[in-house]
Amino acid sequence: MTTLTTQPETRPAVPPLDASVRRRARIRHNLRRSSIYGVAILIAIWILLPIWLITTMAFSTPENIRAFPKPFVPSPATTETINFFLSAEGIVQSALNSVIVAVLTLVISTLIAVPAGYAIARFLFPGRDAIRLGILSVRAFPIVVLGVPIATIYIQLGIYDSPISLALMHVALTLPTTILVISSVFASVPYELEEAAQIFGSTPVQAFWQVVLPLSLPGIAASALLTFVLSWNEVFAAIMLTLMNRTLPAAILYTLDKSGDPFKFAGAFFMLMPAIVFIFFIRRYLFNMWGSINK
Amino acid sequence: MPYLLLLPSLLYLLLFFAYPMVQAFQLAFSKSVPYLNLRAEPNATAATTGTLAMQTVVTVLDRQRQEETLPNGVKRPVFWFKVEAPNPDGVPVQGWVNQRNVFIESRTESTTARVTTGEPTLVFTLENIQRMTSDFRFGPAVLTTFLLIILILPLQFALAIGMALVLQSQIRANGLFLYIYAIPLGISDLTAGIVWYAIFTQRGFLNSALVGSGVLPQPFIFLQPDHTAWMITAIVLAEVWRATSIVMVIVVAGLQAVPRDYLEAGEVFGATVWQRLRYVILPLLKPSLQVALILRTILAFQVFAVVVALTGGDVLTVLGNETYRWYDPARLNSPNVAAAYAGFILLISLGISFFYLRAVRSQEESVKAL
Repeated sequence: MTTLTTQPETRPAVPPLDASVRRRARIRHNLRRSSIYGVAILIAIWILLPIWLITTMAFSTPENIRAFPKPFVPSPATTETINFFLSAEGIVQSALNSVIVAVLTLVISTLIAVPAGYAIARFLFPGRDAIRLGILSVRAFPIVVLGVPIATIYIQLGIYDSPISLALMHVALTLPTTILVISSVFASVPYELEEAAQIFGSTPVQAFWQVVLPLSLPGIAASALLTFVLSWNEVFAAIMLTLMNRTLPAAILYTLDKSGDPFKFAGAFFMLMPAIVFIFFIRRYLFNMWGSINK
Repeated sequence: MPYLLLLPSLLYLLLFFAYPMVQAFQLAFSKSVPYLNLRAEPNATAATTGTLAMQTVVTVLDRQRQEETLPNGVKRPVFWFKVEAPNPDGVPVQGWVNQRNVFIESRTESTTARVTTGEPTLVFTLENIQRMTSDFRFGPAVLTTFLLIILILPLQFALAIGMALVLQSQIRANGLFLYIYAIPLGISDLTAGIVWYAIFTQRGFLNSALVGSGVLPQPFIFLQPDHTAWMITAIVLAEVWRATSIVMVIVVAGLQAVPRDYLEAGEVFGATVWQRLRYVILPLLKPSLQVALILRTILAFQVFAVVVALTGGDVLTVLGNETYRWYDPARLNSPNVAAAYAGFILLISLGISFFYLRAVRSQEESVKAL
């Protein structure tokens, strides 16, 4: 009671905020906000400008690509350079190979990783931590250098230079990440839902199929897209494990010193595009993938 | 049950990770040498009694004439010789050999012969390692790889922390900035190399801007053999541009795990941005930064396409490029030396991960976060 009555009396002890002080605080606040915006926009320009420049090149005429100084916008904008790139021998085929390899990688990697991810997310069993650490420590190796021994193994087995063999290697590259991501997706589905389904008479398999899987599907799809991008971009193993059936990056890299600038620039643009689209679809999941693994 | 679910993954990693790793070291420490196997009986399937190196001169002790039928039905004589000679270790061995494996003047008369062919056999050797280390490009490749790591990583971490703090400060259009900052996740090092080649090449955008604005009277050739510093700069920029996003993702994930009160506490007590970064944010981010550090260092060892795209891979070279150069059937065509490089890269990265984990105390957490 007393506090209620005394409080209004103590208030005037604090000097009333001068209008100028308040204004200065507001200015400082606005200054801080706008400097954050400034930094944010600068970083965005740093990332987008090179993408804009290569896009400019891809849509310029070959004459403009060789011109100096170069135009910073495509004028006139044409698809001449891209058509030239696509009509180069073997390019369409190698783009097709890239898609085949990436889709195979995505399918195999996801099929193997889903059960493993589920086991790590849901079960407590002896050796769980050891197995998880084992799988994850694979990421502490530059796996692509294993392209060398794998190439000699493939040659011995007679399965060298085929899309499926390269996809098998790419699965080895992506599997640890895919397991990690998928297990964090499963971990984010509340266990209570699964329990409830089982109480209402579902078998564990039904509960997984009808409750857990639909809820985790967007996350699994995001992880599958990430796998696709990893395989689509991979060049080191691809150039070692293919010869006639090159993937797009391997084909471009292999002819790099013999090809002209229009070819290179159109090629870079072509490799860049799918990534930009796919990252757009998985952007919301990127942080959950790394964030919730420990929970 | 959980073991059953994990089985496919474990088998897969065993088959495509553990086995090739063993194979890599086996390739690195072995070479294929033709050796002639001596047989206990004059026939090709008999037990082996010893092996002889190529060009060994042998004494013929006995001979046996056999007949073989050619596919067209014609029969012809084939000789087997019982020979004696010192094996590669200098111990004399005896056994039967087929005539096609030796050079002999007269099949019926001669008492000596010379071994000419055999079966490829793997023997232990340090030759591949020596060829790797004595190659004049080995030293520069190691130096450039490490130099790039030392130059790239600090820039990357500073930029990534900056990006993460921007995203964390709840500005408008946060989602848009997040997407833009994440785009490089999908860009390969080959693409990044070509994109920055378009900027740094003689008729590139940088020269266009410099000459166009009158800063330079004529284009400056950045990417030429005399200007290795510029080449390094171009590679560093391309790598910082391409590979900072992965660090940013890990740092943002780490920041999200930090309770908001901790971050706000500093603000309430009037700490400056720098003080909060130094005393609150960075210590809390330590495990995430460590994970990012390991991941980025490992990835830095496999970089090669960006170097090839920007410099051609001859003036400047890195370990990844050397591995491919030795492997490439069109160039050095030596998978064994390439495997030596692969093994070398594996060992260094293992050592560095181990060093990072030991150097920071919270290793338990970071291994889990990895």
